[in-house]
Amino acid sequence: MAAQRSTAASAESGRWVLLAYRMPREPSSPRIAVWRKLKRLGVAQLSDGLVALPADPRTREALEWIGHEVREADGQADLWLAEPGELAQQQRLVGELSAARAVEYQAVQDEAVQAAHLAPAQRRRIGQRLRAELGRIGRRDFFPPPERDTAQAAVHTLLEAEDDTAEVPR
Amino acid sequence: MNWATRAGVHIDRAACAWLIRRFVDPHATFTFVTDPAQVPADATGFDMPGVDLSHHIGPEGFEECSFETMLRRYRLDDPLLWHIGQIVHEADLDDEHFDAPEARGLDVVLRGLSMIRADVEVLDLAGPIFDGLYEYHRRAALLGREPS
Repeated sequence: MAAQRSTAASAESGRWVLLAYRMPREPSSPRIAVWRKLKRLGVAQLSDGLVALPADPRTREALEWIGHEVREADGQADLWLAEPGELAQQQRLVGELSAARAVEYQAVQDEAVQAAHLAPAQRRRIGQRLRAELGRIGRRDFFPPPERDTAQAAVHTLLEAEDDTAEVPR
Repeated sequence: MNWATRAGVHIDRAACAWLIRRFVDPHATFTFVTDPAQVPADATGFDMPGVDLSHHIGPEGFEECSFETMLRRYRLDDPLLWHIGQIVHEADLDDEHFDAPEARGLDVVLRGLSMIRADVEVLDLAGPIFDGLYEYHRRAALLGREPS
């Protein structure tokens, strides 16, 4: 909730933290590790080697650490705090991030719906995995799309159905 | 000894400060800075980019948090501290390298504290939390199961 408040504030103020980075093509493993971390953070890709997140102390620190990792791997990294020059730019960026999360939530929802007819034990296993996935998506979701609520409801239903059929010792 | 870290204390910095006070330097004093260039000349910096006591790729090839780096640098091989290191690692890096279910909760507690208290107070309040975590895992190790 606090994270949502702080990101809402940064969305209003329109401040973004940008990481401009370059890494050697070889070895590829540090480059892949950095790419995975950026993906996990839910960055907006502005162009090749330039990513953005809504600015708050946590996103700023997270990108600082990645910049540090890039430099340790003989790359170059610069961190910038920026405001979009036009309002439309801001809206486009917010829209892109929101749409990227919507796709992820939709995938969770689809999987939850498909699992609805499975045996209780399988439903439970899949429901728990999807709940963890929802948590991961939620941590990089700065502008929640409507798909968040429907995905959460679908996973909730999946786990709830299991509870109803659970055998109660008498 | 004087120690310096980045302002805005959360899990990794709080855990490092606890480790310093308990196992490295009982008379430690802490300074909070916003830029590595502000670290006083007489202070040892930790958990900030550009200093040694921070995140590094460990010998096993994956990123370690500052707490884990400190355990290595000060040769603290107590398995309980390494267990706490796994919790701090997951709370800070959240890369699912370790199974540490406490991590999310501990992270939330520390983030909440940092919203209502100044950095120096957060370190003081976090001390007993980590002492308790250590004691819990010490008893768990002795019993071979969850302690009551």
